[in-house]
Amino acid sequence: MAEKDRVYRCLNPVGIQTPLDTFPLAPRLDSVDGKEIYISVCGEPDITLALEKKLKRDYPNVNWKTKRTYITDPVPLTDEEMKTADGVIQGVAW
Amino acid sequence: MVRQEALSSGVPAIRYLHGSRTRPGPEDVDSLVEPILKEMTRPLTDEEKQSGRWEPSRPDRLLFEGTLDEAQAFYQQTKYIGLPVNAPISLYTDGYPIIVPTEERVAEMLKGTSHKPDELIVHQSERVLRWGVRMKPGDPVAFQQGVQSSRRTATVEKVAINAVMAGCKPEHLPIILAIAESGCGTGTTNFPSQAVCLSGPIVKQIGLNTGCGHLGPGSPVNGPIGRAFQLMAINLSGAIPGVNRMGCHGSPINNGGTCFGENADGLPPGWLGMNEESGFDKNESVVMVMLNIGGGIVGSQFSPGGYRAFQKSGHGGMARRFDVKGRPGPHNWLEYIVPGLWAAREGAFTFVMVPEMARHLLDYGFKSKDDAYDWLYKQSFITIKDFKGRSWPDYQGTNGWTGIEKTSGRPWRELPDDYMVALVDDPFDSLIIVAGGEEEASVQFGGGRGPVYSIDVWR
Repeated sequence: MAEKDRVYRCLNPVGIQTPLDTFPLAPRLDSVDGKEIYISVCGEPDITLALEKKLKRDYPNVNWKTKRTYITDPVPLTDEEMKTADGVIQGVAW
Repeated sequence: MVRQEALSSGVPAIRYLHGSRTRPGPEDVDSLVEPILKEMTRPLTDEEKQSGRWEPSRPDRLLFEGTLDEAQAFYQQTKYIGLPVNAPISLYTDGYPIIVPTEERVAEMLKGTSHKPDELIVHQSERVLRWGVRMKPGDPVAFQQGVQSSRRTATVEKVAINAVMAGCKPEHLPIILAIAESGCGTGTTNFPSQAVCLSGPIVKQIGLNTGCGHLGPGSPVNGPIGRAFQLMAINLSGAIPGVNRMGCHGSPINNGGTCFGENADGLPPGWLGMNEESGFDKNESVVMVMLNIGGGIVGSQFSPGGYRAFQKSGHGGMARRFDVKGRPGPHNWLEYIVPGLWAAREGAFTFVMVPEMARHLLDYGFKSKDDAYDWLYKQSFITIKDFKGRSWPDYQGTNGWTGIEKTSGRPWRELPDDYMVALVDDPFDSLIIVAGGEEEASVQFGGGRGPVYSIDVWR
Protein backbone atom coordinates (compact mmCIF):
# COMPACT_ATOMS: atom_id res chain seq x y z
CA MET A 1 0.00 0.00 0.00
CA ALA A 2 1.35 3.40 -0.93
CA GLU A 3 2.07 5.75 1.99
CA LYS A 4 -0.53 8.19 0.73
CA ASP A 5 -3.18 5.48 1.03
CA ARG A 6 -2.27 4.48 4.58
CA VAL A 7 -5.13 4.89 7.02
CA TYR A 8 -4.40 6.67 10.29
CA ARG A 9 -6.34 6.84 13.51
CA CYS A 10 -6.63 10.53 14.43
CA LEU A 11 -7.46 11.77 17.92
CA ASN A 12 -10.00 14.23 19.24
CA PRO A 13 -8.65 17.58 20.50
CA VAL A 14 -11.96 18.72 22.01
CA GLY A 15 -12.25 19.26 25.77
CA ILE A 16 -14.55 17.32 28.06
CA GLN A 17 -17.80 18.95 29.10
CA THR A 18 -18.65 17.84 32.64
CA PRO A 19 -22.22 16.97 33.70
CA LEU A 20 -24.17 19.42 35.80
CA ASP A 21 -27.44 19.69 37.70
CA THR A 22 -30.14 21.79 36.11
CA PHE A 23 -32.94 23.61 37.87
CA PRO A 24 -36.43 24.77 36.90
CA LEU A 25 -37.12 28.46 36.57
CA ALA A 26 -38.55 30.12 39.66
CA PRO A 27 -42.37 29.94 39.84
CA ARG A 28 -44.06 32.79 38.00
CA LEU A 29 -46.15 35.35 39.83
CA ASP A 30 -49.92 35.56 39.33
CA SER A 31 -49.55 39.34 39.52
CA VAL A 32 -46.76 41.74 40.41
CA ASP A 33 -49.01 43.91 42.60
CA GLY A 34 -47.92 43.98 46.21
CA LYS A 35 -44.90 41.79 45.52
CA GLU A 36 -41.32 42.41 46.58
CA ILE A 37 -39.23 42.42 43.39
CA TYR A 38 -35.52 43.10 43.17
CA ILE A 39 -34.00 45.05 40.31
CA SER A 40 -30.45 43.69 40.25
CA VAL A 41 -28.39 45.63 37.74
CA CYS A 42 -24.73 45.95 36.81
CA GLY A 43 -22.74 47.90 34.27
CA GLU A 44 -23.92 50.77 32.11
CA PRO A 45 -26.28 53.14 33.92
CA ASP A 46 -27.66 54.64 30.70
CA ILE A 47 -30.21 51.86 30.55
CA THR A 48 -30.22 50.51 34.10
CA LEU A 49 -31.14 53.83 35.71
CA ALA A 50 -33.89 54.38 33.16
CA LEU A 51 -35.17 50.85 33.73
CA GLU A 52 -35.38 51.32 37.48
CA LYS A 53 -37.11 54.69 37.08
CA LYS A 54 -39.70 53.40 34.64
CA LEU A 55 -40.48 50.26 36.62
CA LYS A 56 -41.09 52.33 39.74
CA ARG A 57 -43.20 54.84 37.86
CA ASP A 58 -45.32 52.37 35.88
CA TYR A 59 -45.76 49.81 38.65
CA PRO A 60 -46.13 51.79 41.88
CA ASN A 61 -47.88 48.90 43.64
CA VAL A 62 -44.73 46.78 43.54
CA ASN A 63 -42.33 46.93 46.47
CA TRP A 64 -39.23 47.53 44.35
CA LYS A 65 -35.79 46.92 45.85
CA THR A 66 -32.55 47.69 43.99
CA LYS A 67 -29.19 45.95 43.98
CA ARG A 68 -26.85 48.09 41.92
CA THR A 69 -23.25 47.92 40.88
CA TYR A 70 -21.39 49.54 38.01
CA ILE A 71 -18.87 46.75 37.54
CA THR A 72 -19.24 43.51 35.58
CA ASP A 73 -20.70 41.17 38.17
CA PRO A 74 -24.14 41.65 39.69
CA VAL A 75 -24.43 41.79 43.47
CA PRO A 76 -26.10 38.57 44.63
CA LEU A 77 -29.10 38.70 46.94
CA THR A 78 -28.28 37.76 50.54
CA ASP A 79 -29.93 34.78 52.21
CA GLU A 80 -32.09 37.21 54.19
CA GLU A 81 -33.20 39.01 51.03
CA MET A 82 -33.98 35.71 49.35
CA LYS A 83 -36.42 34.85 52.15
CA THR A 84 -38.73 37.72 51.30
CA ALA A 85 -38.07 38.29 47.59
CA ASP A 86 -40.92 37.31 45.25
CA GLY A 87 -38.91 37.91 42.11
CA VAL A 88 -35.72 39.29 40.60
CA ILE A 89 -35.11 41.19 37.37
CA GLN A 90 -31.45 40.78 36.53
CA GLY A 91 -30.05 43.46 34.26
CA VAL A 92 -26.58 43.02 32.79
CA ALA A 93 -25.54 45.98 30.65
CA TRP A 94 -21.94 45.50 29.62
CA MET B 1 -23.18 33.38 25.05
CA VAL B 2 -26.20 33.97 27.29
CA ARG B 3 -27.39 30.43 26.63
CA GLN B 4 -23.95 29.00 27.37
CA GLU B 5 -23.66 30.90 30.62
CA ALA B 6 -27.23 29.98 31.59
CA LEU B 7 -26.57 26.30 30.97
CA SER B 8 -23.30 26.43 32.92
CA SER B 9 -25.24 27.99 35.79
CA GLY B 10 -27.81 25.17 35.68
CA VAL B 11 -30.75 27.19 34.30
CA PRO B 12 -30.69 26.46 30.56
CA ALA B 13 -34.25 27.68 30.01
CA ILE B 14 -33.69 31.15 31.42
CA ARG B 15 -35.90 33.90 29.96
CA TYR B 16 -34.09 36.95 28.69
CA LEU B 17 -34.54 40.01 26.50
CA HIS B 18 -31.94 42.06 24.65
CA GLY B 19 -31.55 45.78 25.11
CA SER B 20 -30.43 47.99 22.27
CA ARG B 21 -26.82 49.01 21.73
CA THR B 22 -27.77 52.25 20.04
CA ARG B 23 -31.10 53.51 21.36
CA PRO B 24 -30.91 55.85 24.37
CA GLY B 25 -31.71 54.05 27.62
CA PRO B 26 -34.96 55.92 28.42
CA GLU B 27 -36.32 55.10 24.93
CA ASP B 28 -35.11 51.53 25.09
CA VAL B 29 -36.85 50.74 28.37
CA ASP B 30 -40.14 51.99 26.94
CA SER B 31 -40.22 48.86 24.80
CA LEU B 32 -38.67 46.55 27.39
CA VAL B 33 -40.57 47.04 30.61
CA GLU B 34 -43.86 45.45 29.61
CA PRO B 35 -42.22 42.36 28.10
CA ILE B 36 -40.08 41.97 31.24
CA LEU B 37 -43.12 42.04 33.49
CA LYS B 38 -44.96 39.69 31.15
CA GLU B 39 -42.14 37.14 31.48
CA MET B 40 -42.46 37.34 35.26
CA THR B 41 -46.13 36.41 35.14
CA ARG B 42 -46.47 34.17 32.06
CA PRO B 43 -46.90 30.59 33.35
CA LEU B 44 -43.92 28.29 33.04
CA THR B 45 -43.84 25.82 30.20
CA ASP B 46 -43.19 22.13 30.87
CA GLU B 47 -39.64 22.57 29.62
CA GLU B 48 -39.02 25.46 32.02
CA LYS B 49 -40.24 23.37 34.94
CA GLN B 50 -37.78 20.58 34.27
CA SER B 51 -34.87 19.78 36.53
CA GLY B 52 -32.37 17.00 36.33
CA ARG B 53 -28.89 16.20 35.23
CA TRP B 54 -27.36 17.51 32.02
CA GLU B 55 -24.96 14.84 30.89
CA PRO B 56 -23.31 15.57 27.57
CA SER B 57 -21.79 12.60 25.83
CA ARG B 58 -18.06 12.33 26.40
CA PRO B 59 -16.27 13.04 23.13
CA ASP B 60 -14.87 9.94 21.48
CA ARG B 61 -11.10 9.62 21.80
CA LEU B 62 -10.89 8.71 18.14
CA LEU B 63 -12.19 11.50 15.93
CA PHE B 64 -11.35 10.36 12.40
CA GLU B 65 -9.88 7.45 10.46
CA GLY B 66 -8.46 7.94 6.99
CA THR B 67 -5.48 9.00 4.97
CA LEU B 68 -3.46 12.04 5.97
CA ASP B 69 -4.96 14.06 3.12
CA GLU B 70 -8.46 13.09 4.20
CA ALA B 71 -7.63 13.86 7.82
CA GLN B 72 -6.24 17.26 6.94
CA ALA B 73 -9.48 18.12 5.15
CA PHE B 74 -11.51 16.77 8.07
CA TYR B 75 -9.70 18.90 10.68
CA GLN B 76 -10.01 21.94 8.42
CA GLN B 77 -13.80 21.74 8.31
CA THR B 78 -15.73 24.86 9.15
CA LYS B 79 -19.11 25.91 10.45
CA TYR B 80 -20.92 29.02 9.30
CA ILE B 81 -21.37 31.49 12.14
CA GLY B 82 -24.08 34.06 11.61
CA LEU B 83 -24.20 37.53 13.10
CA PRO B 84 -21.94 39.12 14.21
CA VAL B 85 -19.47 37.08 12.11
CA ASN B 86 -21.26 36.04 8.90
CA ALA B 87 -18.44 33.78 7.76
CA PRO B 88 -17.28 30.18 8.09
CA ILE B 89 -15.14 29.52 11.17
CA SER B 90 -12.89 26.49 11.65
CA LEU B 91 -14.19 23.88 14.04
CA TYR B 92 -10.89 22.42 15.25
CA THR B 93 -8.20 24.83 14.11
CA ASP B 94 -7.24 28.49 14.08
CA GLY B 95 -7.90 28.53 10.36
CA TYR B 96 -4.42 27.41 9.30
CA PRO B 97 -3.59 23.81 8.37
CA ILE B 98 -2.49 21.71 11.34
CA ILE B 99 -0.28 18.72 11.91
CA VAL B 100 -2.76 15.84 11.91
CA PRO B 101 -2.85 14.34 15.43
CA THR B 102 -2.45 10.68 14.60
CA GLU B 103 -2.34 8.20 17.45
CA GLU B 104 1.37 7.64 16.79
CA ARG B 105 2.25 11.34 16.83
CA VAL B 106 0.33 11.91 20.06
CA ALA B 107 2.07 8.92 21.67
CA GLU B 108 5.42 10.42 20.66
CA MET B 109 4.38 13.80 22.06
CA LEU B 110 3.42 12.20 25.38
CA LYS B 111 7.05 11.10 25.83
CA GLY B 112 7.71 14.74 26.71
CA THR B 113 6.11 14.38 30.15
CA SER B 114 6.06 11.89 33.00
CA HIS B 115 2.36 12.61 33.54
CA LYS B 116 -0.06 9.89 32.45
CA PRO B 117 -2.24 10.50 29.36
CA ASP B 118 -5.51 10.10 31.27
CA GLU B 119 -4.53 12.46 34.09
CA LEU B 120 -6.89 15.37 34.43
CA ILE B 121 -5.29 18.82 34.13
CA VAL B 122 -5.35 20.06 37.71
CA HIS B 123 -4.00 23.08 39.53
CA GLN B 124 -0.48 22.44 40.75
CA SER B 125 -0.45 25.25 43.32
CA GLU B 126 -2.85 27.40 45.32
CA ARG B 127 -4.29 30.14 43.19
CA VAL B 128 -7.01 32.74 43.25
CA LEU B 129 -8.65 32.99 39.86
CA ARG B 130 -10.64 35.74 38.28
CA TRP B 131 -14.03 36.14 40.00
CA GLY B 132 -12.20 35.45 43.30
CA VAL B 133 -12.50 31.68 42.96
CA ARG B 134 -9.90 30.01 45.18
CA MET B 135 -8.19 26.88 43.87
CA LYS B 136 -6.01 24.41 45.70
CA PRO B 137 -3.56 21.84 44.32
CA GLY B 138 -5.44 18.96 42.73
CA ASP B 139 -8.55 20.96 41.82
CA PRO B 140 -9.47 20.40 38.17
CA VAL B 141 -8.76 23.29 35.85
CA ALA B 142 -11.94 24.77 34.40
CA PHE B 143 -11.31 25.83 30.83
CA GLN B 144 -12.62 29.08 29.33
CA GLN B 145 -12.34 31.09 32.52
CA GLY B 146 -13.59 34.12 30.67
CA VAL B 147 -17.00 32.59 31.18
CA GLN B 148 -17.82 32.56 34.84
CA SER B 149 -19.05 29.03 35.29
CA SER B 150 -17.22 26.87 32.78
CA ARG B 151 -17.65 23.14 33.15
CA ARG B 152 -14.96 21.99 30.72
CA THR B 153 -11.99 19.88 31.70
CA ALA B 154 -9.13 18.22 29.81
CA THR B 155 -6.62 15.43 30.20
CA VAL B 156 -2.89 15.36 29.56
CA GLU B 157 -3.60 13.50 26.31
CA LYS B 158 -6.02 16.21 25.15
CA VAL B 159 -3.29 18.80 25.68
CA ALA B 160 -0.79 16.60 23.80
CA ILE B 161 -3.21 16.32 20.86
CA ASN B 162 -3.41 20.09 20.61
CA ALA B 163 0.36 20.36 20.96
CA VAL B 164 0.79 18.00 17.98
CA MET B 165 -1.69 20.03 15.94
CA ALA B 166 0.24 23.23 16.72
CA GLY B 167 3.52 21.74 15.51
CA CYS B 168 5.15 21.40 18.92
CA LYS B 169 7.85 18.88 19.80
CA PRO B 170 7.77 16.53 22.80
CA GLU B 171 10.23 18.74 24.72
CA HIS B 172 7.65 21.54 24.49
CA LEU B 173 4.91 19.50 26.14
CA PRO B 174 5.64 20.51 29.77
CA ILE B 175 5.29 24.13 28.66
CA ILE B 176 2.00 23.43 26.91
CA LEU B 177 0.72 21.59 29.99
CA ALA B 178 1.68 24.57 32.17
CA ILE B 179 -0.14 26.87 29.77
CA ALA B 180 -3.16 24.55 29.94
CA GLU B 181 -3.15 25.00 33.71
CA SER B 182 -4.22 28.60 33.03
CA GLY B 183 -7.54 27.37 31.58
CA CYS B 184 -6.74 29.12 28.29
CA GLY B 185 -9.38 31.79 28.76
CA THR B 186 -9.86 34.25 25.96
CA GLY B 187 -11.84 36.96 27.68
CA THR B 188 -14.94 38.32 26.07
CA THR B 189 -14.89 41.76 24.49
CA ASN B 190 -12.42 44.47 25.34
CA PHE B 191 -9.30 42.50 26.30
CA PRO B 192 -9.02 40.22 23.34
CA SER B 193 -5.32 39.31 23.18
CA GLN B 194 -3.35 36.57 24.86
CA ALA B 195 0.36 35.77 24.87
CA VAL B 196 2.71 33.52 26.83
CA CYS B 197 6.14 34.48 28.14
CA LEU B 198 8.79 31.97 29.22
CA SER B 199 11.51 32.52 31.79
CA GLY B 200 14.22 30.26 33.19
CA PRO B 201 16.50 27.55 31.81
CA ILE B 202 13.77 26.22 29.51
CA VAL B 203 14.36 29.20 27.22
CA LYS B 204 17.77 27.94 26.16
CA GLN B 205 16.89 24.26 26.47
CA ILE B 206 14.31 24.46 23.71
CA GLY B 207 16.01 27.12 21.58
CA LEU B 208 13.37 29.80 22.05
CA ASN B 209 14.17 32.93 20.06
CA THR B 210 14.62 35.79 22.51
CA GLY B 211 16.67 37.82 20.05
CA CYS B 212 15.97 39.73 16.87
CA GLY B 213 12.46 39.15 15.57
CA HIS B 214 11.39 37.17 18.61
CA LEU B 215 7.80 38.43 18.34
CA GLY B 216 7.65 37.72 14.64
CA PRO B 217 7.69 34.67 12.39
CA GLY B 218 10.54 32.25 11.78
CA SER B 219 11.14 30.33 14.98
CA PRO B 220 10.00 26.68 15.02
CA VAL B 221 9.71 27.05 18.82
CA ASN B 222 8.06 30.41 19.57
CA GLY B 223 5.42 29.98 16.88
CA PRO B 224 4.12 26.49 17.75
CA ILE B 225 4.06 27.19 21.50
CA GLY B 226 2.09 30.39 20.98
CA ARG B 227 -0.18 28.58 18.59
CA ALA B 228 -0.80 25.78 21.09
CA PHE B 229 -2.42 28.30 23.44
CA GLN B 230 -4.84 29.36 20.73
CA LEU B 231 -5.67 25.79 19.68
CA MET B 232 -6.35 24.88 23.31
CA ALA B 233 -8.54 27.97 23.64
CA ILE B 234 -10.52 26.74 20.64
CA ASN B 235 -10.64 23.00 21.36
CA LEU B 236 -10.43 22.73 25.14
CA SER B 237 -12.14 25.96 26.10
CA GLY B 238 -14.58 26.10 23.20
CA ALA B 239 -13.77 29.65 22.13
CA ILE B 240 -15.70 30.59 18.99
CA PRO B 241 -15.66 34.08 17.43
CA GLY B 242 -19.06 35.68 17.59
CA VAL B 243 -20.44 33.04 19.94
CA ASN B 244 -18.41 33.39 23.13
CA ARG B 245 -15.23 35.08 21.95
CA MET B 246 -16.59 38.52 21.34
CA GLY B 247 -13.58 40.77 20.74
CA CYS B 248 -15.15 42.67 17.87
CA HIS B 249 -11.88 43.10 15.96
CA GLY B 250 -10.08 40.01 17.23
CA SER B 251 -6.35 40.48 17.55
CA PRO B 252 -3.30 39.81 15.38
CA ILE B 253 -1.49 38.77 18.57
CA ASN B 254 -3.76 35.73 18.63
CA ASN B 255 -3.45 35.06 14.92
CA GLY B 256 -1.10 32.10 14.99
CA GLY B 257 -0.43 32.76 18.68
CA THR B 258 2.33 34.64 20.47
CA CYS B 259 5.07 33.17 22.62
CA PHE B 260 8.15 35.08 23.66
CA GLY B 261 10.69 34.74 26.43
CA GLU B 262 13.23 36.45 28.56
CA ASN B 263 16.88 36.72 27.58
CA ALA B 264 18.34 36.03 31.03
CA ASP B 265 21.86 36.81 29.80
CA GLY B 266 20.66 40.25 28.77
CA LEU B 267 19.42 41.23 32.21
CA PRO B 268 21.49 44.02 33.76
CA PRO B 269 23.33 43.05 36.95
CA GLY B 270 20.91 43.05 39.90
CA TRP B 271 17.78 42.77 37.77
CA LEU B 272 15.78 39.62 38.48
CA GLY B 273 14.36 37.36 35.83
CA MET B 274 10.60 37.08 35.54
CA ASN B 275 10.78 33.67 37.24
CA GLU B 276 12.48 35.10 40.34
CA GLU B 277 10.23 38.17 40.34
CA SER B 278 7.29 35.76 40.45
CA GLY B 279 8.57 33.90 43.52
CA PHE B 280 10.34 31.06 41.76
CA ASP B 281 14.00 30.09 41.85
CA LYS B 282 16.42 31.32 39.21
CA ASN B 283 16.78 27.73 37.99
CA GLU B 284 13.05 27.10 37.72
CA SER B 285 11.33 27.37 34.39
CA VAL B 286 8.01 29.17 34.28
CA VAL B 287 5.46 30.51 31.86
CA MET B 288 3.44 33.66 32.35
CA VAL B 289 0.06 33.43 30.65
CA MET B 290 -1.02 36.94 29.75
CA LEU B 291 -4.76 36.58 29.33
CA ASN B 292 -5.81 40.19 29.31
CA ILE B 293 -3.73 42.17 26.88
CA GLY B 294 -5.79 45.22 26.06
CA GLY B 295 -4.67 47.66 23.43
CA GLY B 296 -2.33 45.29 21.62
CA ILE B 297 1.27 46.25 20.97
CA VAL B 298 2.62 49.77 20.87
CA GLY B 299 5.85 49.85 18.88
CA SER B 300 8.89 52.02 19.37
CA GLN B 301 8.20 55.72 19.54
CA PHE B 302 11.70 56.87 18.63
CA SER B 303 14.23 56.12 15.92
CA PRO B 304 17.08 53.86 17.01
CA GLY B 305 19.56 56.39 15.61
CA GLY B 306 17.91 59.19 17.54
CA TYR B 307 18.02 57.07 20.67
CA ARG B 308 21.74 56.39 20.22
CA ALA B 309 22.47 60.09 19.74
CA PHE B 310 20.50 60.82 22.91
CA GLN B 311 22.42 58.29 25.01
CA LYS B 312 25.89 58.57 23.46
CA SER B 313 26.33 62.30 23.23
CA GLY B 314 23.15 64.09 24.19
CA HIS B 315 22.21 65.08 20.66
CA GLY B 316 18.98 65.07 18.70
CA GLY B 317 15.31 65.53 19.47
CA MET B 318 15.20 63.38 22.55
CA ALA B 319 18.02 65.37 24.13
CA ARG B 320 16.27 68.63 23.20
CA ARG B 321 13.02 67.44 24.76
CA PHE B 322 14.70 66.72 28.08
CA ASP B 323 17.08 69.68 27.95
CA VAL B 324 20.20 67.50 28.15
CA LYS B 325 21.75 68.71 24.90
CA GLY B 326 25.45 67.93 24.82
CA ARG B 327 25.28 65.77 27.93
CA PRO B 328 25.96 62.07 27.26
CA GLY B 329 23.76 59.47 28.96
CA PRO B 330 22.73 57.44 30.74
CA HIS B 331 19.32 59.06 30.37
CA ASN B 332 15.97 57.62 31.40
CA TRP B 333 14.47 56.88 28.00
CA LEU B 334 11.17 55.77 29.60
CA GLU B 335 10.44 59.47 30.06
CA TYR B 336 10.06 59.74 26.29
CA ILE B 337 7.27 57.18 26.05
CA VAL B 338 5.40 57.91 29.28
CA PRO B 339 3.25 60.79 27.94
CA GLY B 340 1.69 58.48 25.36
CA LEU B 341 1.34 55.42 27.56
CA TRP B 342 -1.90 56.28 29.27
CA ALA B 343 -3.30 58.60 26.63
CA ALA B 344 -6.34 56.44 25.96
CA ARG B 345 -6.32 53.64 28.51
CA GLU B 346 -5.46 52.98 32.11
CA GLY B 347 -3.58 50.12 33.73
CA ALA B 348 -0.18 48.54 33.64
CA PHE B 349 1.99 47.81 30.61
CA THR B 350 4.48 45.12 29.72
CA PHE B 351 7.73 46.65 28.44
CA VAL B 352 9.78 44.42 26.17
CA MET B 353 13.18 46.08 25.79
CA VAL B 354 16.51 45.10 24.30
CA PRO B 355 19.44 44.42 26.70
CA GLU B 356 21.23 47.67 25.84
CA MET B 357 18.25 49.77 26.81
CA ALA B 358 17.76 47.84 30.05
CA ARG B 359 21.41 48.50 30.83
CA HIS B 360 20.86 52.22 30.27
CA LEU B 361 18.08 52.15 32.84
CA LEU B 362 20.39 50.43 35.33
CA ASP B 363 23.12 52.99 34.69
CA TYR B 364 20.59 55.79 35.04
CA GLY B 365 19.81 54.58 38.56
CA PHE B 366 17.21 51.84 38.44
CA LYS B 367 19.15 49.22 40.37
CA SER B 368 16.34 46.70 40.01
CA LYS B 369 13.23 46.21 37.93
CA ASP B 370 11.29 47.24 41.03
CA ASP B 371 12.94 50.67 40.92
CA ALA B 372 11.66 51.09 37.38
CA TYR B 373 8.19 49.82 38.34
CA ASP B 374 8.04 52.34 41.20
CA TRP B 375 9.08 55.15 38.87
CA LEU B 376 6.49 54.17 36.27
CA TYR B 377 3.80 53.97 38.94
CA LYS B 378 4.60 57.50 40.10
CA GLN B 379 4.39 58.79 36.53
CA SER B 380 0.87 57.40 36.22
CA PHE B 381 -0.70 59.88 38.65
CA ILE B 382 -3.20 62.38 37.27
CA THR B 383 -5.74 64.70 38.85
CA ILE B 384 -9.24 63.56 39.68
CA LYS B 385 -10.45 66.16 37.22
CA ASP B 386 -8.59 64.44 34.39
CA PHE B 387 -9.46 61.00 35.72
CA LYS B 388 -13.15 61.84 35.46
CA GLY B 389 -12.69 62.49 31.76
CA ARG B 390 -11.81 58.86 31.11
CA SER B 391 -14.14 56.02 30.15
CA TRP B 392 -13.31 52.89 32.16
CA PRO B 393 -13.26 54.59 35.57
CA ASP B 394 -17.03 55.10 35.25
CA TYR B 395 -17.26 51.36 35.86
CA GLN B 396 -14.06 49.74 37.02
CA GLY B 397 -12.21 50.83 40.11
CA THR B 398 -14.72 53.46 41.22
CA ASN B 399 -17.96 51.44 40.96
CA GLY B 400 -19.70 54.31 39.22
CA TRP B 401 -17.96 56.82 41.53
CA THR B 402 -19.92 55.36 44.45
CA GLY B 403 -16.91 53.53 45.93
CA ILE B 404 -13.96 54.48 48.11
CA GLU B 405 -10.67 55.73 46.66
CA LYS B 406 -8.04 53.46 48.16
CA THR B 407 -5.13 55.84 48.75
CA SER B 408 -7.23 58.39 50.64
CA GLY B 409 -9.85 56.06 52.12
CA ARG B 410 -12.45 58.65 51.14
CA PRO B 411 -15.47 58.39 48.82
CA TRP B 412 -14.56 59.24 45.24
CA ARG B 413 -17.26 61.88 45.07
CA GLU B 414 -15.79 63.81 48.00
CA LEU B 415 -12.29 64.18 46.57
CA PRO B 416 -11.25 67.61 45.24
CA ASP B 417 -10.50 68.00 41.54
CA ASP B 418 -6.77 68.41 42.17
CA TYR B 419 -6.40 65.17 44.16
CA MET B 420 -3.92 62.87 42.42
CA VAL B 421 -4.78 59.25 41.60
CA ALA B 422 -2.75 56.54 39.88
CA LEU B 423 -3.70 54.99 36.55
CA VAL B 424 -1.94 51.77 37.60
CA ASP B 425 -3.30 49.83 40.57
CA ASP B 426 0.03 48.64 41.89
CA PRO B 427 3.66 49.28 40.89
CA PHE B 428 4.23 45.53 40.55
CA ASP B 429 1.46 45.26 37.95
CA SER B 430 3.98 46.53 35.40
CA LEU B 431 6.32 44.05 33.79
CA ILE B 432 9.71 44.36 32.13
CA ILE B 433 10.99 41.61 29.87
CA VAL B 434 14.47 41.90 28.40
CA ALA B 435 14.52 40.45 24.90
CA GLY B 436 14.97 41.44 21.28
CA GLY B 437 17.86 42.17 18.95
CA GLU B 438 20.57 44.78 19.00
CA GLU B 439 18.75 47.75 17.61
CA GLU B 440 17.50 50.20 20.22
CA ALA B 441 13.78 49.53 20.40
CA SER B 442 11.14 48.81 22.97
CA VAL B 443 7.58 47.64 22.54
CA GLN B 444 4.78 47.83 25.05
CA PHE B 445 1.87 45.49 25.51
CA GLY B 446 -1.20 47.09 27.00
CA GLY B 447 -1.79 44.96 30.09
CA GLY B 448 0.77 43.93 32.65
CA ARG B 449 1.54 40.83 34.59
CA GLY B 450 -0.44 37.60 34.17
CA PRO B 451 -0.50 34.46 36.30
CA VAL B 452 2.73 32.43 36.30
CA TYR B 453 2.88 28.62 36.15
CA SER B 454 5.71 26.22 36.86
CA ILE B 455 6.83 24.28 33.81
CA ASP B 456 9.00 21.94 35.85
CA VAL B 457 6.04 20.32 37.65
CA TRP B 458 4.77 19.20 34.26
CA ARG B 459 8.01 17.57 33.09
